[in-house]
Amino acid sequence: MQPVIDACVFIVDDDAGVREALAWLLRTRRLPSQLFEGANAFQAMIEAQPLPEQPCCLLLDVRMPGTSGLALFDWLVGRGLHLAMPVIFLTGHADVPTAVDAVKRGAFDFCEKPFSDNALVDRIEQALAQSTQIVRARTEAVRLQGRLDELTERERDVMRLVVEGLPNKLIADQLDISVRTVEVHRARVFDKMEVKSAVELANLLRKI
Amino acid sequence: MVEDDREDRPPSARRRRQLWLLLVVLVGALLVMLVWLAGRYEASQVQDRLERDTADAVADIRAALTRNVQSFQALHFNEPTPGAWAQEAIGLLREHRELVRIEWRDLQLGLKSHADTPFRSPVFARLGRENAQSDVIQACSTARRYSGPAYSNSYFVSLSDGLGMEVVEVCLPLVTAGKITGYVVASYSLQEALDELLGRQLTRSQEVSFTEADGTRLAVRGAGPRGNRVFTAQQLLDLPGITFILRMDSWRGAPDIFPNVLTALVTAMSIALISVLAILGKDMRRRLRAERDLADAFAFRKAMEDSLVTGLRARDLHGQTTYVNPAFCQMVGFSAEELLRQDAAAPYWPPELLDEYQRRQAIRLAGSVPPREGFESVFMRKNGSLFPVLIIEAPLINAQGVQTGWMSAFLDISEQRRVEELSRASQERLQATARLATVGEMASLLSHELNQPLAAIASYATGSMNLLKDEHESIQSLARDIEVAMRRIAEQAERAGKVIKSVHDFVRRRDQDREAVAPQALFDAVLPLVSLQARKLSVRVHTRVDDNIPRVLCDRTMVEQVLLNLARNGMQAMDLPEIVDRVLKMSVSRAAGRGQERWLAFRVEDCGPGISLEVQQQLFTPFFTTKAEGMGLGLSLCRTVIEQHGGALVFEPNLPHGTVFTFTLPALVVE
Repeated sequence: MQPVIDACVFIVDDDAGVREALAWLLRTRRLPSQLFEGANAFQAMIEAQPLPEQPCCLLLDVRMPGTSGLALFDWLVGRGLHLAMPVIFLTGHADVPTAVDAVKRGAFDFCEKPFSDNALVDRIEQALAQSTQIVRARTEAVRLQGRLDELTERERDVMRLVVEGLPNKLIADQLDISVRTVEVHRARVFDKMEVKSAVELANLLRKI
Repeated sequence: MVEDDREDRPPSARRRRQLWLLLVVLVGALLVMLVWLAGRYEASQVQDRLERDTADAVADIRAALTRNVQSFQALHFNEPTPGAWAQEAIGLLREHRELVRIEWRDLQLGLKSHADTPFRSPVFARLGRENAQSDVIQACSTARRYSGPAYSNSYFVSLSDGLGMEVVEVCLPLVTAGKITGYVVASYSLQEALDELLGRQLTRSQEVSFTEADGTRLAVRGAGPRGNRVFTAQQLLDLPGITFILRMDSWRGAPDIFPNVLTALVTAMSIALISVLAILGKDMRRRLRAERDLADAFAFRKAMEDSLVTGLRARDLHGQTTYVNPAFCQMVGFSAEELLRQDAAAPYWPPELLDEYQRRQAIRLAGSVPPREGFESVFMRKNGSLFPVLIIEAPLINAQGVQTGWMSAFLDISEQRRVEELSRASQERLQATARLATVGEMASLLSHELNQPLAAIASYATGSMNLLKDEHESIQSLARDIEVAMRRIAEQAERAGKVIKSVHDFVRRRDQDREAVAPQALFDAVLPLVSLQARKLSVRVHTRVDDNIPRVLCDRTMVEQVLLNLARNGMQAMDLPEIVDRVLKMSVSRAAGRGQERWLAFRVEDCGPGISLEVQQQLFTPFFTTKAEGMGLGLSLCRTVIEQHGGALVFEPNLPHGTVFTFTLPALVVE
């Protein structure tokens, strides 16, 4: 699998040794990481930047002083972020049942310490791939919505009828405008929506 | 209120009252009858006397009349002349006042001579003698017929003084040579006859009268009525030619209830009898009241005994049960009849403890006083189940102050035992859980603490390997990165080492908790817990501490745990049905052997089945156990604790059967 260069791995662990060791390991696999020593710091980052643009995933220690990993996970679920930012729990042996429970509630996976590290990195990459997909789809949707927002009222009417497959003449009849005007609107819609054909436009719109 | 009380009385009381009433009535009737009979008797006495007097009087009169007739006869002795006869007749009249006139008459009743009584004027002077002629004729005709004296009917002669008298004529035929030659006619005044012919004493206290057959009174003599009670006697006086009735009336005083001594005596006795009855009745009432009070008191005591949950039992000095209360019956499940039956052994004594109980009873009967606070024992219910009881005994002293037996109170303490047992078990479970939780917590903490550096080390190692496989890296940067990783690995390894060391430090810290403890104190600390279980398993626990034993230097809590653990193992080993005599011995002495003077040997002996060879080999292996719920840490921990003290824990067979665990601990040496 190709490394996702513009991705970011967030690591939340109260133990600095573990945090740095993981970051170092990820760097050897060319994965950038961002370290947080507690849930609060991470939450502050999310608050500041609600929707991460790039693919990302979260390595979360279950057992931490203050807000525990589990509480932080619940907080992310509450915000609907746990899909775009898959969560992988890091657990000690005793916390395995807790982690299993978390996976059932939507966590990506859990990994038992001490871990077989490349397997962990592999799971991280899979998580990033999922994140990439979701982020890309979301970016696409946002862009599409932006293009739709650029259309005028009349252009939107024309586009709806075009997608229904009506010829220009019928569109002109229905909207009570000239065929020439329909052609102008149609060209402008294709231009703004960055498509070349009516079929392409219909496919694009189906995504929304 | 009083009326109500009376109505509420039970039927028996009413019947008793009726009986009393009947008795009083009967006694009263008896007394009245006695008095009446006594009066009757006395009256009959009086009547008898009166009858006798009357009969005597009649006899006297008859005799006097006969004598008079002879006197008349005597007038004609020697053929007197009428003049001489008259002289003689007057003499006779002088002597006999009852006669008022004597005549001598010829055969034709012509008067030949006569004489009148000198004591009164001639009776016949006023009316003339002729009036009496018919009576004379009647009397003389009767006399002639009888050839003897005969009397005429009485007739009344009125006198010149206005009074009169009843007169009777008597005619005596004069016989010469078998032929009647004349008559002597004499006139009797009946009134005078009563005076003259009867004894004075007769007429003094009673009235005497001549009456005719129809009751007409002819002459009366004697006292007038002197009381309203009259006794009457009548006697027939029949004379030739005439028949009188002599009647006597004896007057008595006013109605006399106690007429004589007999009646008085009877009355007095009756009064005495009634008094005695009254006293008896009073006494009876008092007795009844006392009885009722006693019954009330008894009922009160009975209710008290029945309401007790404490069982009560009384035994006499021979050990025979004489009393049990319902609570005791309920406790042991036997009925009172079964318990009171004459038996050598009580049915609630467990058969296996019979000898011991009989010994105890013998000691008690010999007079030893039991502890005031009671002692514990085990009884058997009818269904065979055993239960513990607390027995409190006290001597039974009767009203005369003599001991007649023993009174025992029983408390069923099985419930109390059960609660104790439960609380002990739950306590133990709690402790075990707490210990486990602590161990689990420790393990979790420890694994986390070790996992962190290990995870870091693994990361660096994996990363380094990744770098070494990467062909794009330059040698310089590779060497720099690897160096960093190695340094980090060393740091994390050191960190893991510190974790291990801290655990070791934690364990070693307990060394400093050692103190000097008297061995007896160690036993005392574990005995409450040990005896709780011992009671449950019917084990007797003996402890023995040799004299002059020095104090022991140890971690008190840990050594107590070791003792407790060994004692429990020993008792559980004896919890088999075939082991009857369950004894657990705990003792401490100076260790034997050379170089052991500074050590004390603690021994815990049981008499269970011993330890099989197979088990012996694994006995101290951690997590090896023969118990269902055991963790297998007990003995292994015990040995660790003892070895931390520098001592040793060993075991050997206890003869004839069982096991002895011995451990040694350092004694405190006073320099």
